[in-house]
Amino acid sequence: MVADINDAGSDETVEMVQQAGGAAMAVHADVAQRHDVEAMIAAATDSFGRLDVLYNNAAVQMSGTLAAATVDDWDDTIATNLTAIFWACRAGIPAMLAGPPGAEGGSIINTSSVLGLVGSEGYVAYGAAKAALIALTRQIALEFGPHIRANVIAPGSIDTPRFRKVADDSGDPTGFVAAVRQHIPLDRLGTAGDVARVALFLASDASAYTSGAIIPVDGGLAVLR
Amino acid sequence: MTAPTPTPDMVAAGYEGRLAVVVGGASGLGTAICRRLGDDGAHVVVADLDEVGAQRVADGLAHDGAVGHAHHVDVRDPRSVSELFAAIDGIGADLGVVVLSAAVETRASVVDCSDEEWRDVIDTNLKGPFLCMKEAVPRMVEAGGGSIVALGSTLGQVVAPKYPAYCASKFGLTNLCKQVAIEHAKDNVRVNIVAPSACDTGLFVRMAEESADPDAIRHMVTSNVPMGRLGRADEVCDAVAFLASDRSSYLSGAVLPLDGGLAARRT
Repeated sequence: MVADINDAGSDETVEMVQQAGGAAMAVHADVAQRHDVEAMIAAATDSFGRLDVLYNNAAVQMSGTLAAATVDDWDDTIATNLTAIFWACRAGIPAMLAGPPGAEGGSIINTSSVLGLVGSEGYVAYGAAKAALIALTRQIALEFGPHIRANVIAPGSIDTPRFRKVADDSGDPTGFVAAVRQHIPLDRLGTAGDVARVALFLASDASAYTSGAIIPVDGGLAVLR
Repeated sequence: MTAPTPTPDMVAAGYEGRLAVVVGGASGLGTAICRRLGDDGAHVVVADLDEVGAQRVADGLAHDGAVGHAHHVDVRDPRSVSELFAAIDGIGADLGVVVLSAAVETRASVVDCSDEEWRDVIDTNLKGPFLCMKEAVPRMVEAGGGSIVALGSTLGQVVAPKYPAYCASKFGLTNLCKQVAIEHAKDNVRVNIVAPSACDTGLFVRMAEESADPDAIRHMVTSNVPMGRLGRADEVCDAVAFLASDRSSYLSGAVLPLDGGLAARRT
């Protein structure tokens, strides 16, 4: 079940999954709306009869220092990057636990950020939300341990359209990327595939004994902190 | 406002003629911190949702020869926080210290946590410090510097069953304080966190007393602590007073655990 606020993007993803021989459906969800989040979980269980993996990847990246961030920036960031995931887990955990006999439970994967692990500057609301999300995920790992695994992916600088936009907005995209790479031991930006492979690991039984983990996907960035 | 005669200690602490605001000062650890800062010579503004309680603490400070003011604040509400700091401007002294002590907790598994419980905890414990620092930091910058001390928690570093909202709020607070520490390091504004485990004063005691078997909860908690006992309010006050004063002038973005050795178990 592909859920997104961007329906065209969801449709494209569904098509990719189907072309690869998988089954997929799309559901519209603005995760800042509780109803949409709950409807998303219901759509998954109604369509497929069970919920095994919940991957909370939706986020807004609003940068801003303490001085620059407005109360609206704060509220929007906390709503999408933290409270939405609380709602998804609150609705998703019972759905996972109600799985078929012998297969009760599942795997929750939450996308945090390196900025949730370390202090930085210019990301007051984003960093606070991503740190809080790490706590929420580990709390779920602790409390629902027998049946549900919950893990965090903490991406660093990933070459996504969002990253490209930030680079372009800087006025010197090449210089911007070079400056970012200076702090990355692997000396390259991450790719969506880099993150996806870790997510697949956490979703699958290959990670059956991994819960409450925070896995940086950052090219080694965090070792410098 | 009659200022006490400055002692060498007050001068060393950097409190002379400066204000210390304790947000959440009307109860628990906040009240103990108000008393300590008052004893140390700071002019204390006791700010709390409980206006009557705040006034009682301020009156107590005056009775003990310190200088106390009381003001209402709802830290969840930007307008209320703005009003608090506008009122502080009216006192006519530089803002030197802000202690962020207002916090609530709720005990519910993530699947049972209501929207209201979640919002109340996240807004009080995380948005409140954001709003207070947005008001306080520019004033401190203008005054040439200042010290912010946030009351974090052991649950800002490790998680515990039934505390999803509280753990999220305190982890978020820790990250928020570190960011502000970095952003304003060059302005001589320091931001530090004290992270107490369960104390003999404040939220833990209230929670234990409301439970079916307070002694059992106390025993369960203290048996995990290497020192085998609860923390004491005066120990938290010692740490807050140190971080609030100029004695910690090269310390910023730090988390100081006050947990009887619990932190030693962590990486």
